[in-house]
Amino acid sequence: MLSKVHLPSSAAEAAGLLRAGGWLIGGGTVVMPRVNTGAVPVEHLISLRHAGLAGIRVDADTVTIGAATTLAAVGADDRLGFLHPVIRSIASPPVRNLATVGGNLLVPQPHGDLAVALLALDARVDVVSVDGARTGLVGEPVAPDEIVTAVHFDLPENWHYRKAMRRRHNSAAIVTVAAVLDGERTRIALGGVASRPVRAYAAERILRDDPGAVAEAAEAAGEGVEAFDDAYASAWYRVRVLPVHVRRALLGED
Amino acid sequence: MASRIVSLTVNDREEELLAKAGTSLLTVLRDTLGLTAAKRGCSQGACGSCTVLLDDRPVPACLVPVETVDGAAVRTLEGIAEDGELDEVQSAFLEDFATQCGFCTAGMIMTAEALLAGNPDPTRAEVVEAISGNVCRCTGYEPIVAAILDAAERRRESGRTA
Repeated sequence: MLSKVHLPSSAAEAAGLLRAGGWLIGGGTVVMPRVNTGAVPVEHLISLRHAGLAGIRVDADTVTIGAATTLAAVGADDRLGFLHPVIRSIASPPVRNLATVGGNLLVPQPHGDLAVALLALDARVDVVSVDGARTGLVGEPVAPDEIVTAVHFDLPENWHYRKAMRRRHNSAAIVTVAAVLDGERTRIALGGVASRPVRAYAAERILRDDPGAVAEAAEAAGEGVEAFDDAYASAWYRVRVLPVHVRRALLGED
Repeated sequence: MASRIVSLTVNDREEELLAKAGTSLLTVLRDTLGLTAAKRGCSQGACGSCTVLLDDRPVPACLVPVETVDGAAVRTLEGIAEDGELDEVQSAFLEDFATQCGFCTAGMIMTAEALLAGNPDPTRAEVVEAISGNVCRCTGYEPIVAAILDAAERRRESGRTA
């Protein structure tokens, strides 16, 4: 039963508390539904709201976003205009005023569209624990006693994003496609087709060899995906429509 | 069970209260302060019926552990009318029949207030996007969207900004 909500004022302090057990809580959009129904198996929550992890920095072409930055803050930052369609495809404006970048990175699919974008961007992830700080890549595991403190990535030149959902707004993903098509830096990431965002390696290879081979790349995008059934779509449907949405994303079609 | 003293400015009034660990802002508003306009719907942030303004931004109050927002300013539907006078959004909802069962109304109005504060002349598409987190299970969206557009016009004509 929940007995305490800690309010650490730094990531290091939060890491010390986390080592002793409990759950991290960022914006609360994932943890509070559990708290509200009494389904929290831990005694302590560790809030990152006051841990100094919010903020966006852009140095030349490199972007750093603190893990506790809200999705709304990313969506309001003019320097990150290419990410605005990503942000606007996630939940609703009130939820985006709470939801954080770090939380979105770790939430399971079919949520976590920003995580799909960060995978396409080849983002680096800063992590801290009582053992010290390290920087990993997005998609790599984060240990239970580690705290994501920030993500970094280089601004893309040729960016593509598309999310297929049941409604125009506020719906989880049927399929999410994010792609950077900058020559050797060609990366395509998919959401909604596995429990975590995944790369479409086969499609990337085809496009690296021939940037015009969009239809062929789209057909290859489903190679190796392990789609799932949920209330939004069946696995069959997701796999079936994936090439269509990859093609539309790459061509910028509506 | 460690309770904590929390200070909030709710509808311009200083409040101090004792909150048990994990108590949501919604529970404090409804059960401690008796402000029952914000409704307890899904308790998951999915329905929008508990939307309030937290430091001027609309949020689902059920998702906010109140201890984490000590010192914040909160505005609920009860804090919109001035001297008993309904504001433009409230009047438009009333006169344009934008309320059916009424359960979503408080959240809809608070979301609309936040929209109009930042965007006094929204398009229909912007209104629809703004209320995309507010579910009306009577499905009365058309009159709600019309009322928000009407409220924007009333406010522009009255020269009031927020």
